[in-house]
Amino acid sequence: MAPIEILDPTVEPRHQPLTYVPRPDSLKGKRVGLVENTKFNSDRLLHRVGEILINEYGAAECKMWRKHNASVPAHAEIIEEAKRSVDVIVAGIGD
Amino acid sequence: MTTTTFASKRHVVADFAQAMDLCYERGWTDGLPVVPPTEPAVGRMLDAVGLQPDAQLAFITNRQVAVTAEKVAINAVMAGCLPEYMPVVVAAVEAIADPLWAYHGPATSTAGAGPLLIVNGPIARRLEINCEDNLFGPGWRSNATIGRAIRLIMRNVIGTLPGLLDRGTLGHPGKYSYVIAENEAESPWIPLHVQRGCAPGESAVTVLAAEAPRQWYNQLSSTPDGVLRTVCDDMRHHNSTNGQPQYVLVLAGEHMRTIANGGWSKADIQKFVFENTQNSIAHIKRMERLAGAVTPQDETAMRPLLAQPDDVLVVAAGGRAGAFSAYIPGWAGGRRSSQAVTKVIQDRRA
Repeated sequence: MAPIEILDPTVEPRHQPLTYVPRPDSLKGKRVGLVENTKFNSDRLLHRVGEILINEYGAAECKMWRKHNASVPAHAEIIEEAKRSVDVIVAGIGD
Repeated sequence: MTTTTFASKRHVVADFAQAMDLCYERGWTDGLPVVPPTEPAVGRMLDAVGLQPDAQLAFITNRQVAVTAEKVAINAVMAGCLPEYMPVVVAAVEAIADPLWAYHGPATSTAGAGPLLIVNGPIARRLEINCEDNLFGPGWRSNATIGRAIRLIMRNVIGTLPGLLDRGTLGHPGKYSYVIAENEAESPWIPLHVQRGCAPGESAVTVLAAEAPRQWYNQLSSTPDGVLRTVCDDMRHHNSTNGQPQYVLVLAGEHMRTIANGGWSKADIQKFVFENTQNSIAHIKRMERLAGAVTPQDETAMRPLLAQPDDVLVVAAGGRAGAFSAYIPGWAGGRRSSQAVTKVIQDRRA
């Protein structure tokens, strides 16, 4: 019997180069953005994180944004406002 | 044949049995044997839908994956599809890549949803997609393989692998294949796809990220509201009480006739379900589905199960005999995170 040839059903994901902004040496005086993912208690968790960053690490202030839902990246308005108004971002999942 | 130019890597094996074994070894199956995707078989799939291999049907942003017609055709062959099923498979791929369906959440979530496909229009009858007895059961090639093709595409092309990017805690059997048609020939109502904006002569597939079907029973009532009170009671207390996903309500023969004989339209059914599936906030809190202490106001404040009446998609389907029907909750992430998407099934051949 002659050999047969089959086609590969899989795909290699496209690679997307990502560049991170250098982490600050200290949070002292920094403005912190918190991105909340809409899941139960994620806002409470991030509020607590914000308090710790202010009280124990000297961050100047915290402000929070809410994503449209947990399954999508932060939308453009969040990104644009964050660029203007904060120095660092904390994004986490609450579940 | 459309073309012989395929971009996919080729694997040479001695025979069909070895090809099936290779697919297992490479992790390309859903656990069942697959049909080896040879070039002629893949070519026939593309011919049937009039697409070039490199045509991009979808782009999954979170995965940075382009889903091409070639990869869809390969996986459709593996699933056991006939070439004439391809237009349905293609439309369903477009649906799960739609921003409203929002692939990443329902495909990866621990809540374990699977894509439920509801096919309407002439193509459902032409392809003999089952809409009657044993609606969700085995026995029909089109039902069994179209949904399987979608699952293999999710696995092999988009990389939604169980235990890695598909983190369903339980999953459900519909994640093998979850395809039904509406019984338009016997339905007294407007078909689902027409209700959702398609023309009556068109064929369409509606895809909802969905949990398993829940069967319910009412052999006592001979009135629409009597029959529907039973399912509303079931729905009101099920798992997604607080999340407001969309739902499918499948009404089989006996219930369909009882409700239609009472003169109710699909819109009447949707309104009744919306109004009769609400829970008090107090109840939701007591059942530990919402955080916080129960306040006096919570006793009278009502939380609708549905965000709006047309979030219950009413479908006439199932056997003629038996006082059973089913409701199917959408993914627990809710309509805020994923919605049913209806795509017209196109014939792209010139």
